[in-house]
Amino acid sequence: MNLLDTLLRCVGTLVAFLVLPLVVGQTEHKVMAHMQGRLGPMYAGGFHGWAQLVADGVKFVQKENVVPAGADRRVFQLAPAVALLPYLLVLLVIPVGPDGMVGQVVDAGIFFVLAVMGIGVLGSLMAGWASANKFSLLGALRTAAQLMSYELPMLLAAASVAMAAGTVSLPGIVDAFHWWWVPWQLIGAFVFFTAGLAELQRPPFDMPVADSEIIFGAFTEYTGLRFALFLLSEYAGIVVLCGLTTVLFLGGWHGPFEDDLGWLWTLVKTFALAFVVLWLRVTYPRLREDQLMRFAWTVLIPLALAQLALTGIIKVAIS
Amino acid sequence: MDVTHSHGTPGNGPVPLGIPDPARPGAAVEQRRLGPLARLAPDPVKVVLNWGRRYSLWCFNFGLACCAIEFIAASMAKHDFIRMGVIPFAPGPRQADLMIVSGTVTDKMAPAVKRLYEQMPEPKYVISFGACANSGGPYWDSYSVTKGVDQIIPVDVYVPGCPPRPEALLQGILKLQEKIAAEDVPQRYAAPADALRRPLRPAPDATGEGTK
Amino acid sequence: MEWQPLAADPAAGSGYFDAYAAVGLLAVIGVLFVVVSFTANRLLRPVVDTPEKLLAYECGVDPVGEGWAHTQIRYYVYAFLYVIFAVDAIYLFPWATVFAAAGFGAATLVEMFVFIGFLAVGLLYAWKKGVLEWT
Repeated sequence: MNLLDTLLRCVGTLVAFLVLPLVVGQTEHKVMAHMQGRLGPMYAGGFHGWAQLVADGVKFVQKENVVPAGADRRVFQLAPAVALLPYLLVLLVIPVGPDGMVGQVVDAGIFFVLAVMGIGVLGSLMAGWASANKFSLLGALRTAAQLMSYELPMLLAAASVAMAAGTVSLPGIVDAFHWWWVPWQLIGAFVFFTAGLAELQRPPFDMPVADSEIIFGAFTEYTGLRFALFLLSEYAGIVVLCGLTTVLFLGGWHGPFEDDLGWLWTLVKTFALAFVVLWLRVTYPRLREDQLMRFAWTVLIPLALAQLALTGIIKVAIS
Repeated sequence: MDVTHSHGTPGNGPVPLGIPDPARPGAAVEQRRLGPLARLAPDPVKVVLNWGRRYSLWCFNFGLACCAIEFIAASMAKHDFIRMGVIPFAPGPRQADLMIVSGTVTDKMAPAVKRLYEQMPEPKYVISFGACANSGGPYWDSYSVTKGVDQIIPVDVYVPGCPPRPEALLQGILKLQEKIAAEDVPQRYAAPADALRRPLRPAPDATGEGTK
Repeated sequence: MEWQPLAADPAAGSGYFDAYAAVGLLAVIGVLFVVVSFTANRLLRPVVDTPEKLLAYECGVDPVGEGWAHTQIRYYVYAFLYVIFAVDAIYLFPWATVFAAAGFGAATLVEMFVFIGFLAVGLLYAWKKGVLEWT
């Protein structure tokens, strides 16, 4: 292994991890504003408020850090890092372009990604439990229930792609992709994207942080930089989810001029999906907690099982 | 300050926090410290730091009466104070930088206002929106109304009016931003504990001479 | 196209331990990032600990009882369901990579339907028992 090369790739991943979520966040400000007939941030940084999130960062880094007296201090302080770092690791293995435009190929691709993303929920649980706050505890339990329920359809949908491609390596899946996979795996794509949205606790699946019910769920007691890290992990999660959906279901770098512009295709598809995530936030009201649970178990899981059956039949038929 | 508690201590009576303050029975001496970099940084860095706080004012909505309607209007499409970086509405005080007290503060609500202000992390700012929050307004002689929110928390900007129009709030926010841009943070946190905690002012005496 | 996992450079997959060494390196970089940002925060932030600030947030009134309140965790059934299903689903992945390979064909397909059938029957049973109903 070429150490310098690996180090550069890791640093590049870190930079992408810090920049892409900010781009998504700024886009969210602007997209939401214009959909609501507003302008969104206009002053920070001059041109159309482009530096709004930079200003947020500068502010968060100089905010006081409050640890409530009743909190379990160590766990409370560690929670944001536990929530954040899994997304960084996942970003490393998402292939961007052909011929090695990827942080690091991990042969167990999908498996690794799903396993590592599962760690993120621990951060929310730690935050909710350690805060010694009733809202936090309720939020954490909701998070746990929600993430457990939606992990399963996500897993099954990903398994369907692994069956279609005959590999669990992410670049391997994109290599095996043909355009007709899109209609073939359409149900799986829907299940995966929806379940991922619920895993990120984005509207309309944001009951764990529903501010009109339980303040801010598990993050109620978090201030300053620790709160900012939770926010960053949410937006990094959007990037990761859209990147994964692109790679698994939309063919990653495939498109016209893919030899030269493959990376651009991945980015375009990722950001188109991110736009859908923001769009859904503006469009739909929040579900009720029980509706959410029922949606996962009685709609998404049967759909995912149906997709598995469909994939199996067609795959055996064509091979 | 002794804030390291093990699991399970809260709830078992009052928690001892810090040195007792002889001036305020039952309260602790407030310690104000500021990180060394914020104190010693060269001026350009301080300008950047002030710029960050200036354009990122997560706002904690404290709507108490009719002024709140005007305040909400200021966050909506036509007036849209997000343009200036006032992000509505922080879910709780822990995430907020700016508290906008809009409406009549009653004596019953006052402790909650004070506690929520206390629970915001430093550096924090307060805009008093409307005549009632400024001074009690039309209820200046009511038995139950606090005569201005500045009796319980320090206010940075007062927005007059009954109720003020949303434009007035925008003007108030701009004033606050100018204030933040010119702010000297080390001085703010070097001040003794009671500098921001203005004591109640005695009523002017009969001769008309103001007392301080 | 067949994916060749064993190649010498990190871009193309470079063996089991090398790949995970890169993941470990990134984890170290990530921890460094967190440490650096919290150090900057420590150097920049004010500290004004007042007793009220350190109280748990409860809408501005005194907290009632303690934060680790007894809560009825009504989602435990989902936890059981999840564990059962997830353990099953994990076995899907190794199987998914080979089931269509030469020599398997229709037999694996039947097996798959048996497998999905078990999951579906389990789900139907839970549904029938009213686990998935709330109202």
